[in-house]
Amino acid sequence: MDQPLGPTFVQEVLGRANGLCGSESSAGSISVGNWFPHPGPSVFTENLALPVALFPTGWNRAVTRQPDIKVMRQEPKGESPCVVRVLIRAPRIRVRSFVFPDPVAKLGSLQSSEGSSTPPPLGLAKPTTRTRLKPPADVIKLADRLHYVLQPSLETLLATESLNFPCAPFAYQWEGVAFLYPRQIAILADEMGLGKTMQAITALRLLLHTGEVQRVLLVCPKPLVANWQREFHVWAPEIPLLVIEGDQARRRWQWELPDVPVKLANYELLPRDREILEGAQGPGTDFDLVILDESQRIKNRLSATSQAAQALRRHRVWAMTGTPIENSPDDLVGIFDFLMPGYLSPSMAPRRMARAVGDFVLRRTKDQVLTDLPPKLFRDAELELTPAQRETYKLAEDEGVLRLTELGDSVTIQHVFELVLRLKQICNFDPVTGESSKLERLQADLEEVAASGRKALVFSQWVDTLERLRDRLQPFGPLEFHGRIPPRQREAVLREFREDPDRRVLLISYGAGGVGLNLQFASYVFLFDRWWNPAIEDQAINRAHRIGSSGPVTVTRFLVVDTIEERIDRILQEKRELFDTVFSCGVNTRPKFGLTQEQIFSLFELKCPGAAVPQADPRSAAA
Amino acid sequence: MPASDAKFNLAIGFLTVIEFPEQGLFGGYLILNRLSRPLEFHCTTPIKPTRAQQILYGPTLQPYLYGEQIGRTLATSAKTRPVAVLTDREPALALREFIDVPVVLVPGQSSPAGGEDTDSRYRIDAAHVNPHRLAAFQLGPHRLMVPAESATDREAVVAALGEIADSFDFREPFERIREAIEEARRGG
Repeated sequence: MDQPLGPTFVQEVLGRANGLCGSESSAGSISVGNWFPHPGPSVFTENLALPVALFPTGWNRAVTRQPDIKVMRQEPKGESPCVVRVLIRAPRIRVRSFVFPDPVAKLGSLQSSEGSSTPPPLGLAKPTTRTRLKPPADVIKLADRLHYVLQPSLETLLATESLNFPCAPFAYQWEGVAFLYPRQIAILADEMGLGKTMQAITALRLLLHTGEVQRVLLVCPKPLVANWQREFHVWAPEIPLLVIEGDQARRRWQWELPDVPVKLANYELLPRDREILEGAQGPGTDFDLVILDESQRIKNRLSATSQAAQALRRHRVWAMTGTPIENSPDDLVGIFDFLMPGYLSPSMAPRRMARAVGDFVLRRTKDQVLTDLPPKLFRDAELELTPAQRETYKLAEDEGVLRLTELGDSVTIQHVFELVLRLKQICNFDPVTGESSKLERLQADLEEVAASGRKALVFSQWVDTLERLRDRLQPFGPLEFHGRIPPRQREAVLREFREDPDRRVLLISYGAGGVGLNLQFASYVFLFDRWWNPAIEDQAINRAHRIGSSGPVTVTRFLVVDTIEERIDRILQEKRELFDTVFSCGVNTRPKFGLTQEQIFSLFELKCPGAAVPQADPRSAAA
Repeated sequence: MPASDAKFNLAIGFLTVIEFPEQGLFGGYLILNRLSRPLEFHCTTPIKPTRAQQILYGPTLQPYLYGEQIGRTLATSAKTRPVAVLTDREPALALREFIDVPVVLVPGQSSPAGGEDTDSRYRIDAAHVNPHRLAAFQLGPHRLMVPAESATDREAVVAALGEIADSFDFREPFERIREAIEEARRGG
C-alpha cells in the first residue's frame, strides 16, 4: 500500500465512481485533459500495470449496495372534517275518523206528519246564548261522546229546526234541556217552580224533530193532565199530543195507535191497562222515551203503579220530581228501579248513593238559579188553642194515650196514627163548638190580603176542613180545588180564581193541588195544617212562588204550640237534614231517617212494643 | 246536481291545529252542513318536530306541519268535499297548495291584522314573521283572509258562503274541534 497513486489509479477510481452515477466511461482510457481545467504540456499515457491490491475497507460493498429508501408518512395535524347525515323524514301521521249520520235526513216523520216536505231555510237565526251539549258519563265509546261534543249549541239546534219559544228560556233551563237531551236515564229534580215541565217538553221536542225518538209516553198524576196539555200547547204547539182516556176499548185503540208522537196518560191508568200494554204487539206501545212526571208516585217498588211502570217497553227514561226523597233514600231506590233496575239498593249509605246517582240527577234550587225571583217570606204563626179546643184536645189526648197504654203489646202503629189524626183535627176545629184559633187568625190575615187586592192559597190535608173554611170564609169568595171537585171542573175553577178579582181565596188540598199548578198570581200561602213531609209542603208553597211571580210570596205556617203539631214539626226538621245529605255532599251530618216507628210512638211518650216494622209512611195511615 | 241541491248539501270544512307542550301538535278537521250539524270529524295523532327540523325548516316549519302534513292528511281522509276549508291558524293556509278548494283564514283576536286587501306591510325593525301576503275581505259580519296568491278564491268563497254568512258563526266550530280533540286525547 506504499505505492504512489498514478493517474491510472485516479482514473480507475473515478471511472468506478462515474459508473455509480450511471454515466458512460471507458475503463481503459481516460482523457486527463478533460479532468484538469488548465491544459498543460503533452501527456502520454502508459499502462504501468501496477499491481493494485484491494483492501477490504468495506467501501466497495457500500458503493454497490442499493440505497435504502424509506417512505415516512406524516399525518396532518388537527381534526379532519366529518360528514353528518340528517334525514328529514315526513312525520308519520295517523288519523282517527268519525262520520256522523246526515242530520238533515233524520228530520223525521214529525215534519212529514205536518205535511211539510220543504227543507229548513238556509241560514240560522243567530242565538244570543250558547249552551253546549255534554256527553253523559255513561257514554263510553269515543264516537258516541264526540257525537254530542261536536253538536252545535242547543240554541242553534232549535233555531235550525225553526222551533220558536213564546219567551226566552232562562240560562239554567237551557242547561236542563242540555242535561236531558243526551241522556238515556235522567232525573230532573229541580225545585218546584223552576220550569221542569218546559225543560222536558223542549228536550223531547228536539229529540222528536231530530228523529232520535218517534214515540214518547208521558205519565203524570191525573190532576196534572190538563196542565201538561196546556204546557204542550205553549212550548211545543206543533207536536200532536194524545191523551189516553175513555173506556177500556177506546184506551186500547189509543195505546195501539202507532204514529202518535206523544201519548199522555195518568198514573191510575198504568195498572189498569197493564194487560194491554204488555200484550200489544205493535209499535204503539213500544216507547222510545218514557217520562214520569212527579215520579215519587212510583217510589214504592211493590205498588201496582210501580210494577206497571216497570213493565213498560222503553228505551230512554226520564223522571221528573221536585222531591226525589220524601221520607228516606228508599224513595230514590224505588225511582231508580224504574230507571235502571238494580242500580241502587236500600242498604247503600247516603253518601255512596249520592255519588252513584251524581251524573243522572240534576237538581237546582231557586236560591241557586233564580236570584231575581221575588223573596219567599216565612211567617210561622204559633197559636194557642182556644179554651174549648184545649179542653177537647186534652180530653182526647188523655183518653187516647190511656187506651194505647191499655192495649199493651197489641198496640199497633195504626192505633197511634188514629190518635195523631184526631188530635190534629182538633187543632183545626173544635168538633163540639166549631171554635178555631187558626180560623180566627186566618180571617184576620185574609182581611189584609183582600184589602191589598191580592189573592191567597190555603192548604189543608182534609177536605172536611176545607169545606168548613169555605163556609166561614164567604166574604172572600172562596173557591175549592180538591178531590171532591170533578176533574173536568178544575180548569174552570183555576180560571175563575185567576180572572175574577172578587175570588180572593183558593182552598186546596195537598193531594190535589200540591203539584203542577201554576198559581203565581197568588201572593200569600197559608198552611192551615202541616203535612207529614216538608217536601210536600214545599210543593204547595211553590204553586205561588215560581217563575212569573210578580212580587214576594208570604208563607204562613200555622202551628199550635204544646200540641202534636209542635212535636211533628221537630221531626220534619230532621227530614230536611236527610235530604240535604243526599243532594249536597258538603253536609257532614249523618241522616236521621224520618218518622221511625219509635219516633211515632214517642209522640205520646209511649214505648215502642218492638214491632219489626223499621219505618213507616204515616201518609198511608192518614189517607 | 241542481243548484238548489248543491246549496242544500252545502258542506264547510273547519281545520285547526292545537299544540300541547307534552305531546305535540294535534290536528282536527270538522265538516259541517249548512245547519252547523257535524258530518265528519277527523283528528290526527300528535306529532312533534325534531330539533333538526326546527333548525332546518326555520320559518317554514309551521306551514309545513300545519298545512302540508297535518292539513293535507286530514283533508284527504274526508269523504265529503267542502266548498271551503276555514282555519283559524294562519300557517294552515299552506294547505291551499295541496287541495283544490279555497282555504280561508278566520282571524281570531290574537291573529295578525295584516292583509289589508292586497297591500303589503313591511317591518323594518325585525325579520318578517309573516312572509305570506294575505288578501282580506268581508263576508257578512266576518272578516276573512286568503293567501294573496289565491286571491281569486275570494269570489268562490263569497259565492258559496254568502247566503249563510249573516247567521253562521264561523268561529264557533273551532271551539267544538278543540273540545273534541281534548275528548279524544283523554280517551287515548
